[in-house]
Amino acid sequence: MFEIEILTKKGFKNSRGEHVLSDICGLGIENVTKVEYSSLYIIDGDISFAETETIASDLLTDKITENYVIRQRDAECLSEVISKFSDVKEADMINPNFSVIEVWYKDGVTDIVSESLIKAVKDLGIAKEIKAKAGHKYYLYGEIFRVTLDTIATKLLANVLIQECKVY
Amino acid sequence: MKKIKVLILRTAGTNCDYETQSAFELCGAVVERVHINTLVEEKDKIFEYDILTFPGGFTYGDDVASGKILSNEIKNKLGYEVKKYALSGRPIIGICNGFQVLVKMGLLPDPELFKQISTLSYNDSGRFECCWVYLKTEKKIGSESSCIWTKNLPDVISLPVAHGEGKFISESKDFFEDLNKNNQIVFRYSSKDGGEPEYPLVSNGSTERIAGICNKKGNIFGLMPHPERYVFALQHPAKEGFNSKYGWGKVIFQNAVDFAGQ
Amino acid sequence: MKCTTKCKTIEILNLSDEQLFELSKKNVLSLSLEEMKIIQNYFKKLKRDPTDVEIETIAQTWSEHCKHKTLTGMIEYIEEKSGEKTKKTYNNLLQETIFKASGELNKPWCLSVFKDNAGIIEFDSENGIAFKVETHNHPSALEPYGGSATGMGGVIRDILGVGLGAKPLASTTVFCFGNPDMESSKVPEGVHHPRRIMKGVVSGIRDYGNRMGIPTVNGAVCFDDGYMSNPLVYCGTMGIIPKNKIDKKVESGDLVLVVGGRTGRDGIHGATFSSTQLDGESDISAVQIGNPIIEKKVLDTMIEARDLNLYRSVTDCGAGGLSSAVGELGKKTGTVVYLDKVPLKYGGLCPWEIWVSEAQERMVFAVPPENIERIIGIFKKEDVEAVCIGEFTDDKKLTLVYDGDVLASMSMEFLHNGVPKPARRAFYEIKEEKIQKPIDMSSFEISSSLISSLADLNVCSKEWIIKQYDHEVQGQTIIKPLQGNNIETSGPGDAAVIFPYTAVKNTRKGIVLSNGLNPQYGKIDPYKMAASAIEESLRNAVAVGANVKKISILDNFCWGNPSDPEVLGSLVRATKACHDMSKAFEVPFISGKDSLYNEYFINKKKYSIPSALLISAMGVIENVENTVTMPFKKNGNKIFVLGVTRNEFGGSVFSKIKSIDGGIVPDVYPRESKDIMEKIYNAISGNLIEACHDCSEGGIAVAVAEMAFSANKGVYIYIDAIETLSPLKKKCRSGNEMTPVEVLFSESNGRFIVEIKPDNEEKFRKILEGSIFSEVGYVSDDKKVIFESKKNNIKVQQSSEVLLNSWRNTIIGC
Repeated sequence: MFEIEILTKKGFKNSRGEHVLSDICGLGIENVTKVEYSSLYIIDGDISFAETETIASDLLTDKITENYVIRQRDAECLSEVISKFSDVKEADMINPNFSVIEVWYKDGVTDIVSESLIKAVKDLGIAKEIKAKAGHKYYLYGEIFRVTLDTIATKLLANVLIQECKVY
Repeated sequence: MKKIKVLILRTAGTNCDYETQSAFELCGAVVERVHINTLVEEKDKIFEYDILTFPGGFTYGDDVASGKILSNEIKNKLGYEVKKYALSGRPIIGICNGFQVLVKMGLLPDPELFKQISTLSYNDSGRFECCWVYLKTEKKIGSESSCIWTKNLPDVISLPVAHGEGKFISESKDFFEDLNKNNQIVFRYSSKDGGEPEYPLVSNGSTERIAGICNKKGNIFGLMPHPERYVFALQHPAKEGFNSKYGWGKVIFQNAVDFAGQ
Repeated sequence: MKCTTKCKTIEILNLSDEQLFELSKKNVLSLSLEEMKIIQNYFKKLKRDPTDVEIETIAQTWSEHCKHKTLTGMIEYIEEKSGEKTKKTYNNLLQETIFKASGELNKPWCLSVFKDNAGIIEFDSENGIAFKVETHNHPSALEPYGGSATGMGGVIRDILGVGLGAKPLASTTVFCFGNPDMESSKVPEGVHHPRRIMKGVVSGIRDYGNRMGIPTVNGAVCFDDGYMSNPLVYCGTMGIIPKNKIDKKVESGDLVLVVGGRTGRDGIHGATFSSTQLDGESDISAVQIGNPIIEKKVLDTMIEARDLNLYRSVTDCGAGGLSSAVGELGKKTGTVVYLDKVPLKYGGLCPWEIWVSEAQERMVFAVPPENIERIIGIFKKEDVEAVCIGEFTDDKKLTLVYDGDVLASMSMEFLHNGVPKPARRAFYEIKEEKIQKPIDMSSFEISSSLISSLADLNVCSKEWIIKQYDHEVQGQTIIKPLQGNNIETSGPGDAAVIFPYTAVKNTRKGIVLSNGLNPQYGKIDPYKMAASAIEESLRNAVAVGANVKKISILDNFCWGNPSDPEVLGSLVRATKACHDMSKAFEVPFISGKDSLYNEYFINKKKYSIPSALLISAMGVIENVENTVTMPFKKNGNKIFVLGVTRNEFGGSVFSKIKSIDGGIVPDVYPRESKDIMEKIYNAISGNLIEACHDCSEGGIAVAVAEMAFSANKGVYIYIDAIETLSPLKKKCRSGNEMTPVEVLFSESNGRFIVEIKPDNEEKFRKILEGSIFSEVGYVSDDKKVIFESKKNNIKVQQSSEVLLNSWRNTIIGC
């Protein structure tokens, strides 16, 4: 099972992140200084790394504005980064001043992006039965208490009825 | 006179095909709306048509990114035919989602290269917006834009836009220099008198306020605004138009039909 | 009846009353004890216990959502006025009020009324137009984005499933929300903040409507804290259908074809759930997420199949899923369905879940066997899944089979007519309304009241919402939701007009859509609320050029718990108004829907929403050239107020912002009002009117200001020239009785502001002869809005730009 993260390249506007930041301010939360959004996909099935890379580069990434990172992922959590482009936020990764909220649909909830993704993978000539999942990842910068992160996750980013979020 | 045949390529989520058909029909063309699955079965059929159209809509829900899945599908299944068609000089138009498809498969700005070198990204306003805008028709002193689609237009026209991903950008500065040099910029968002617009007259943050471009030859035209929604004066918010009946969008379709008939 | 691991027998034959009731509650069946007992008796006669599939089928078929038991049931209604009580018994409330009026009006241009998925009226000699409005309140409260999106998806399917299928041309949405600026601490636990609900609902409608390519062209938003926990989300869709595709009939031997989305566990118990109150512990599976692209594919392909006459009937899978859709289609013939053939999203569903799941984007067709291959081919060609799951029989029974085992076998007669008619009590006390204390204000205070009125949530610009909807897709929206004299539009249009030139070649005709809603009036008098909503919807349509003789209307009731006699009493009162106004204006109801049980618990205390009746109007416009917008057009043109201004402040915007108690709720005077509507139509048809605007929330002051700022023009209004009447002494003309501020802000119905070229004045006056109207001012070029009363020494003056900004900036940046 692979996880693909699509990140906005440096120098391009992360509109969705900016929107979330203004929504966070709207909640009266002030110590979040910046939000970056990236989309997440999980591809599961009898699929090779090379094929996953094709999916990431040819389908999921806009070459002009985005980069991708592929991670091997087991059911529970992500593990090491096994492929990435050079300018992916390395500096940011070691910056302690950010937190992450991931949002995924719960199993059984209709996930239409993943349905389209499966069709598009077939168009790429990858004729394998795969399962896919689409999720969202928000990097929040600033000194933020866990309880505040939970508030942001549940009051803004996810509806816990149908989605689950991981905060870390 | 020979009837001009127009192919409107549609798929799941295409939704501006009927009004685009009406616009071409108003200009005397015969129009067929063809599903991509049908065309893939009989690829050479594409060469039976004089004009190829990628209409607006939300192909495959704009999932992943707008126009992305369709542009991949075309490249993989019809890439050879579409490139050949484009290089033959026949008119091709991509409107809104169709423009996104043209740019993402790389038919614009350079069909010979046929590689994505620019993109239409999320609006600066951060949301989908539907409103009317002014467009400055780019004309270089001495040499008019080579675009065959935009002859006989006044300096400034208005058209409706409706998109969430219309910010035309590229990674390199040279890219825009080349576009300028080659007269490939066709429409820029503008104010009523052709000057710098303010929000909401421009909401997407396109580089150089670009709303539409063409290839060097001028037969392939892509634009975010919707000319097919302004073929009658009645469709304008204040019912303005020309010959007290038509909207300026009609001229765009008429140009292509006339060109194909030459 | 053989049972498998996947299907259980429900032992009910020997249950006591208490146990029966407990069973209904435990399984979210929403069946009353009486209903449970009837079921028990039915199976006693069959000498066996039912299966879970059978019980679930009955619960779905008999649900309030599908059967509308309350409004078609028996009601003992008592009305009290000044201590005197009158009693009336309704055997079927809808039949005796709303349907009755439509029947008596018997308009030949009504093609299908209250019998199909939507009402249909005649558009031209070849085509009809269908309109349906639905609500999706509870799902939107739990998951605003998914709830509203599937609300939109559902009503679009109603249009796809009317007759043999109509092609959607436009949508409407009306919302009621709590205050988006509510302090978070005041929002109850388990309830989404009103701002989140608002944003989610708007995004859901946007994403579904835009992807379907159906322009959302008309709507309204009403804010009231009573909707904080239980928002109202109304979605409507209008479509066009050839007249020869309206009739549908299933025949024995036809195959059951399910088309579109796959079936999953989403939306189980939606139908029965809608009859329960929100209590913070709602069932997760009641939430649905829609996939508009699947529905778009179904639309694209089914119209092709329709025009090739490949099927005999169709309906949508809405509440109650396949159970409801197949059950409806096979009501007269009987049907056998093989549940194991239904395509599933994933494994593990029990047969009953497959049968009642409300998974989205599914349609059911009745297809003659000889056409089955061709029709499946048409769907398949565009990647639409179509699977034959059974057939219509002639045994008048519902038979459900799974893996060869018969899991349900019941008579259609019992299923569809076995539900007992509930008998309910209703009570309403007519309270005397009193005129509020005279309101007197200085020019300065009036000016600031105008600014507050324009900025009020219920008046302010909804541009933020409108622009997110692709209201121009299909290119047919010629009277738009935002209006101006160039492309920079800002004024609030009264109604939308669709010019269906792509669907009907060479037509000059148009379709007008408008609405009327005012829950504030209903808090004081539901009769006047209903009457006002009807009148407002007509007024809005007439203001853009519609002929009131060619308008049809839809009702959508959102009420609290009908087992409370007072709640039901107010509903009865509103339906009476519907009947009376429909008759008086000669405007037929063609379709409707009710959503009851809109109430919720916080800390065990029960709250009910402010009752809301939405009236949606659809009419045919003879010539689309003869339509007008609301911005003033030219300096020096004359302004007239048509209709009479009464001292009516009950439930008004002005009363709210100034905290004024009492006041009389605007009444409707159908004769006066209809007369003016007909005359406006004549004047617009004769090209005599430059601009026209309906006068509603905020009264004349707000309407005139909107006409001025949307045109970036000024206006002078002479208050003393406005015709007024006292609502208590109906016949006495006495302009002196109302103060200038009362004249400006009263919300009397039946009024229009109209702009006329001086050259047309004579012809215009001639048309208006015999009606109450007066010339009140002129359009000016100084960009100032001026209201003056020399008699009272009042001169209100404000720049139109300031007014525009106060109106525009209330809800921004969401």
